Amino acid sequence: MRKILLASHGTPGARAAERAALEMAAAEGAAVVHLYVVPEFWRGMRGDDWLNNASTQETFGNYVEGELAREAREEVERLAADARAAGVTLSSRAMFGAPVDCLLKAADEEQPDVVVMGMPRPKGESGYNSRMKLDLLVRELKVRLLIVPREPS
Amino acid sequence: MVYTHRHPATLIMGAIFLLIGLATGSGLLDGLIQYLHAQKYVGEMVWLGYIFGVAGIVVGAWHLWGTHEEGDLDYYLSTVAGALFILLVALLIRWYVAPWVAVISKAMGPVMGDKPIHKVLGLNYVVLGILAGILITNTIGVPQWARNGVRLSRLGLKTGVILLGTLYSFAELAQLGKLSVVLIGVFVLGSVGLVLLFGRLRGLPNTMTGVLSAGMGVCGVSATVAAAPVVKARPVDIAYTIGTILIWGVGCMFLFPIIGHVLDMGHVQFGAWAGTGILNSAQVAGAALAYQPDGIETLKVAEIFNITRVLFLPIIVLWLALWFVKREEGAEKVNIGQVVIQKFPLFVLGFILMFALSSTGVFAPPQHYKGKYFDNNIPESKLLKPEEAAVLKSEIDAVRAKKPEYVGALERLVENRKIMSREDDAMIRGLNNAKVMSKQANKLLKKAHKAVRHTAKKIKKFRQWITLLFAFGLTGLGMQITIAAIRQAGGQPLVVGGIVGTLKAVLSLIVIILFVHETI
Repeated sequence: MRKILLASHGTPGARAAERAALEMAAAEGAAVVHLYVVPEFWRGMRGDDWLNNASTQETFGNYVEGELAREAREEVERLAADARAAGVTLSSRAMFGAPVDCLLKAADEEQPDVVVMGMPRPKGESGYNSRMKLDLLVRELKVRLLIVPREPS
Repeated sequence: MVYTHRHPATLIMGAIFLLIGLATGSGLLDGLIQYLHAQKYVGEMVWLGYIFGVAGIVVGAWHLWGTHEEGDLDYYLSTVAGALFILLVALLIRWYVAPWVAVISKAMGPVMGDKPIHKVLGLNYVVLGILAGILITNTIGVPQWARNGVRLSRLGLKTGVILLGTLYSFAELAQLGKLSVVLIGVFVLGSVGLVLLFGRLRGLPNTMTGVLSAGMGVCGVSATVAAAPVVKARPVDIAYTIGTILIWGVGCMFLFPIIGHVLDMGHVQFGAWAGTGILNSAQVAGAALAYQPDGIETLKVAEIFNITRVLFLPIIVLWLALWFVKREEGAEKVNIGQVVIQKFPLFVLGFILMFALSSTGVFAPPQHYKGKYFDNNIPESKLLKPEEAAVLKSEIDAVRAKKPEYVGALERLVENRKIMSREDDAMIRGLNNAKVMSKQANKLLKKAHKAVRHTAKKIKKFRQWITLLFAFGLTGLGMQITIAAIRQAGGQPLVVGGIVGTLKAVLSLIVIILFVHETI
């Protein structure tokens, strides 16, 4: 095994996938590509606001972009530190769009041996409503897929 | 960056508009128009068909065959495609789809009292336009070539509000202004305070509580957009809040008119309730136009409430900024002047300017009231028929028992079969709004009032443009409401927002039913 594509946002489910991917990579001597997706629903997050002036809207847009970038950076840095500790080579890429489309595109471009991801978030647990469409992923993905179950809390 | 897309869409839309104008003008569509009972739109179909048709063909040809270079001309002309796209959707719905829905609905018979289902649900061109916008953006998506222009919907709405300034009188603005300041003051400050309290009780982070209180209290998504950077809201706070507000707003736009019809609310009552109880300002206008599609009295009231809300916005943002600084270590200090200037809604100045101009008599003679004037020198055909006067006469005793102050004006109307003076006209309107007479009698009072009140030509044109601008703006805003954003509703904001939103809607309804009886 030479390359693992790891899809993670740092959610509790994804953390289990991260640990599994790093263990596999360390054991096999493979590199890990970390995929971080900013969901496309953010495009519609200004909704139907029409009362604000352009300056307020621009401030909001810049603020949200900045916050999303900060969150992405923090996740990437955290995982990079974990990878260093495990002695694994890790590279990161961030994409904007529907999670399943981004993962399929990244898999197509990176040509990994395996894609690793966490279990979908259980209903009722807080977080973005932007789930991976598993049926589409399974149908379209051309490499092996490993879905790592959550560890009991 | 070059914004213009070399695409035939604008040209095609221009051709469609021109065809509509030509076909309507030549009488080709007469059969269809008669079937749809859409005769009142014939004038619009012809002149708007020609105007937008020619504009679309000229700009479309430029888009397709012109040489495009980076610059202002490219940027501004590129927006024509999106603007025409919204107009085509909005006007096809106004001229054909909404009348067709009404024909089908009437064929199905009444469902609530004597009202058919489209009246109960408020399915008119405005609501159908918003729905079409939502449908387009969530299915085929707004085409790439239209995206730049679709943002013009905001400008359309703001222009509509500015033009609305021409339709108020001093007395009316003072009366509605006072009412809105009291109601908005109580309910906005009350709901902001309530969310802050709930947030503390439920242990929510300050960032989430801050942004949610702005959204639930003032003007929905607009307040969230204004307050989020100030209270350093996390992306998840913003997503939850905006999702919650959008789901509430769209739901209220349908629910409020139904409740309004059930309770038989007056225009001021409904406008005030929508303006206070509906979280999102776009849906306030939508609900007002859904409640009264053939007039803009409800919209006038609702928009005064919207304007009052947006004037409260800098105050609320300031309050939240100070609240946040007090609770969060390391939070940046607030520059009060900067917040107030940045958040001040400039279009409100345009509204005030148009109101001031209108008051000078530029648009209608100064003796006209709201662009309308009294003249009872009317032809025989406009008089009440003897049998109609008899209906009114049979109810005079009932009026005497309940509202004796209106009896004099009513007796003079019965005797002369027309309203005899400006003062009598005011009394007859008051009697109509008091709803102490039968439905048939109330219809006759309305008929007598309409016969002696005339609208100045310029004001009539303003009213038409205002309706068109709101239809354009709201259809375009519909194209910016994504289901993906609505689906973010959840977590604590949905719980807290649900409680506070319901409380605000119910309490404001009770207060308005009990204390608001004004007419405009």
